[in-house]
Amino acid sequence: MSDKQSDLYPYSYDMTEVKPSMPNFVVIPENKEQLVKLVKFCNKYIIPIIPYITGNNVGGITVPVKGGIIVDFGKKMNKILYVNENMKYAILEPGVTFGQFKKYLDDNYPNLRYSYPFAPPSAGVVGNALLSGMNNLSEKIGSMGDSINGLEVITIDGDVARIGSCFYGKDEADPDHWYSRYPMPDLLGLFVNWQGMTGLVTKCAVQLWPKDPFEKNIVALFEDLPSVGRFMREVGSLEVLNDISAVSIEVVKMTIELPEPKRFPGEPAMIANCPISGKTQKLVDAKLEILQNKVKELQDEGMPVILEDIDDFAKLLNLRVRSFLDLPAVILSLFEYSGLTWFGSYAPSHIHDELIPKVDAIFHKHGVPPFIYMKNMKSNHYGIFRPIIRYNKYKEGEEERVHALLEEITDVCIDAGCIPYKTPEWMTEKMRKKINPGWQNLFEKVKKMMDPNGIFNPGRWNT
Amino acid sequence: MVEVKIDNSLHGKEFLEMAFDRCIKCSTCKFGFKNFEPSCPSGEKFLFESYWASGRIRIIRGLINGDLEWTDDLKDAIFACPTCGACMDSCQAPQADFLVDIIEALREMAVKHIGPGPNQENLITRTKDVFNPYGEQNSDNSDLKEKYGLPDQAEWVYFIGCTSNYRQKNLRDSTLNFLKKVGIDFTLVDEHCCTSPLIRTGQINDVKDFMNYNVEQIKKAGATKVITSCAGCYRTLIKDFEKFGVDYDFEVYHTAELVKQLLDEKKIKIKSSYDKTVTYHDPCHLGRHMGVYEIPREVYKQIPGINLVEMRRNRNHAWCCGAGGGVKIGYPEWAVDISKERLEEAKETGASIVSSTCPFCRTNLSDANDKFKMGFEVLDLIEILDQMTIEVKQEE
Repeated sequence: MSDKQSDLYPYSYDMTEVKPSMPNFVVIPENKEQLVKLVKFCNKYIIPIIPYITGNNVGGITVPVKGGIIVDFGKKMNKILYVNENMKYAILEPGVTFGQFKKYLDDNYPNLRYSYPFAPPSAGVVGNALLSGMNNLSEKIGSMGDSINGLEVITIDGDVARIGSCFYGKDEADPDHWYSRYPMPDLLGLFVNWQGMTGLVTKCAVQLWPKDPFEKNIVALFEDLPSVGRFMREVGSLEVLNDISAVSIEVVKMTIELPEPKRFPGEPAMIANCPISGKTQKLVDAKLEILQNKVKELQDEGMPVILEDIDDFAKLLNLRVRSFLDLPAVILSLFEYSGLTWFGSYAPSHIHDELIPKVDAIFHKHGVPPFIYMKNMKSNHYGIFRPIIRYNKYKEGEEERVHALLEEITDVCIDAGCIPYKTPEWMTEKMRKKINPGWQNLFEKVKKMMDPNGIFNPGRWNT
Repeated sequence: MVEVKIDNSLHGKEFLEMAFDRCIKCSTCKFGFKNFEPSCPSGEKFLFESYWASGRIRIIRGLINGDLEWTDDLKDAIFACPTCGACMDSCQAPQADFLVDIIEALREMAVKHIGPGPNQENLITRTKDVFNPYGEQNSDNSDLKEKYGLPDQAEWVYFIGCTSNYRQKNLRDSTLNFLKKVGIDFTLVDEHCCTSPLIRTGQINDVKDFMNYNVEQIKKAGATKVITSCAGCYRTLIKDFEKFGVDYDFEVYHTAELVKQLLDEKKIKIKSSYDKTVTYHDPCHLGRHMGVYEIPREVYKQIPGINLVEMRRNRNHAWCCGAGGGVKIGYPEWAVDISKERLEEAKETGASIVSSTCPFCRTNLSDANDKFKMGFEVLDLIEILDQMTIEVKQEE
């Protein structure tokens, strides 16, 4: 535990333009027993508790807007507790990182894999799942929130609840019984996407997937912006890709160390990454053939798109481009400056066609290179739309300039039906103006029931 | 946010500016890149964000912005770091190569406001007093010159370094023996501290004077090449002299580089056998700071009979010995604990010898070996070579 100003300060702000606020204490717990005591104490004296892993959420979610105690899970409660190879899941403490998890699986379970986001290796696996983050199997599995089998949580009165199929038994659950979140009433919904507002998660079981031995990575290059949305829907629905994610061409240039790139006439406007894998090379080839046939069909209809093997593309451009494939990785385009902010949202995928050129134009209007990252999820059931802005936090007027750009993008996207996740307060405030009153009343009632004194990460969703 | 104003008088100003322009605290600096092993002794020990590179960058911002006040409470976060550079290797952002410079600039600023880290003021007072950070009576090396029959002028100067000259004399003597044995035309000078301990701890006011003095001595000896067995001196002579704008026109070699060159050119051949299992500990100042990983290994491999085995974390991923950055003097118990972790890793290899190419690593690894009764023999590469029969090919 520390209350030294120097120890508290790094927890007072994150990479975004969210206003900094100092915590009063930071604690590094070792086990749930300590946390049970902490929760009871904080509830008695009405002291905010803010769960923290690495603070990489890009939404100010761990900024202690009302002070209180930061619970840093990343340093000691970071163990991979169990892997069930047969039912393909792992039980994790909250502080496990993607890099750590990948290494552990590669070393010990080479036939299994997890699904990794467009995030650094040090980002937290459990935080990503609880906040319904992205991943690179998204065409197959959708949101990471869907991959949670079960949770152990400490609720406001210090009770420890196990949720999911691990719910049998008074004491610790049998590690082989964390296999499903169904069919009992799905209490996971009280914690997933709540940004730490309803309790402290101390264990989380996440699904794993078989690792295919054969892989192929294809990129699609688009001459225009409006084609991208349709391409992703059509190709996403083929069910041959592991993932499909597109970025502005400027992002690729940022990755190869061009900090403020321009798009020149004749260059592709966007590029989509289409990873394929299979148990055999024949299967990979068959999937590739399906993809190529679909692209031919689209080309015949006049869509300006071409497919390239990413290895050739990387050789031509720069091997750094491969960092997009090699997740979890450090993608330079995200780490260039001292600030990073975004409008990260779930979106109905049919609006991508309209949103991409619109948001691209907003970036240009503000003199900022476009950085659009988007996905289609789970065989095109829904989409992800994520304009990102890198900036220098300490350049005079820059944060205000960036915020103005982000706010304009936010307004356009929310109007089009996007739902931001990992939201700062100002963004949820905008959403709440559009959300139906019934939902809002229910949300308030649930929050009140789960946390009557408002100690769990106050400020989130304007609580 | 408003534009930041940084004290123009600070030598490390450009690195403090970088702390504002770069780093989103992605935390990649916390673990070995791609191997995801713990790599930062400071962060692993003290755990709070302020003890990792990205946290220290935040402390810089807070101090310069005025969000944080200068108090003694800051000292551990600023000085409890061996500046091993593991963060430089892990970080993949544009500031990666400058993280140690950024930490040293923070220390320079801290020394100005709250004074040096614990016990570290001794480094400067002793060096100003007797020209070495150990507080030993300065040796002008004339006794050694006489003992080894060295000339006043020579092609090479062996820059012994304070740790070898005052604490690891066997390493010094082994280097002298080796240089004599292989017929290098070398001499010694009345050297003063290379300034590594001063720079690493932010006490930089006088370093240029020491640097200029040493350059002058080397010039007087008429040398065109300088050799040292100390990774710290090597890093300082090459990198820090340039950083402080001190020019010279001689080449600087680490002993391992000279040995490798002599072996490659077939000027020497190791004739005897060293039938032991040896694991090599990469000194941070030679490895991560200077990129020299393979040369020492190639020398070990040319020793007949040797079984060279690698520790789990090796080369750029090597776990620091814990002595550098003022930690040995400032946090002596922790320094030895860091070495203990390294020796535990060495145990896994089955080696009986832990060998390095730095007297400072040798000191700290030996201290941990003794304190925790780890049962190794800790030797420098040059000490092993000194035990070997070496055939020297005569010039035709």
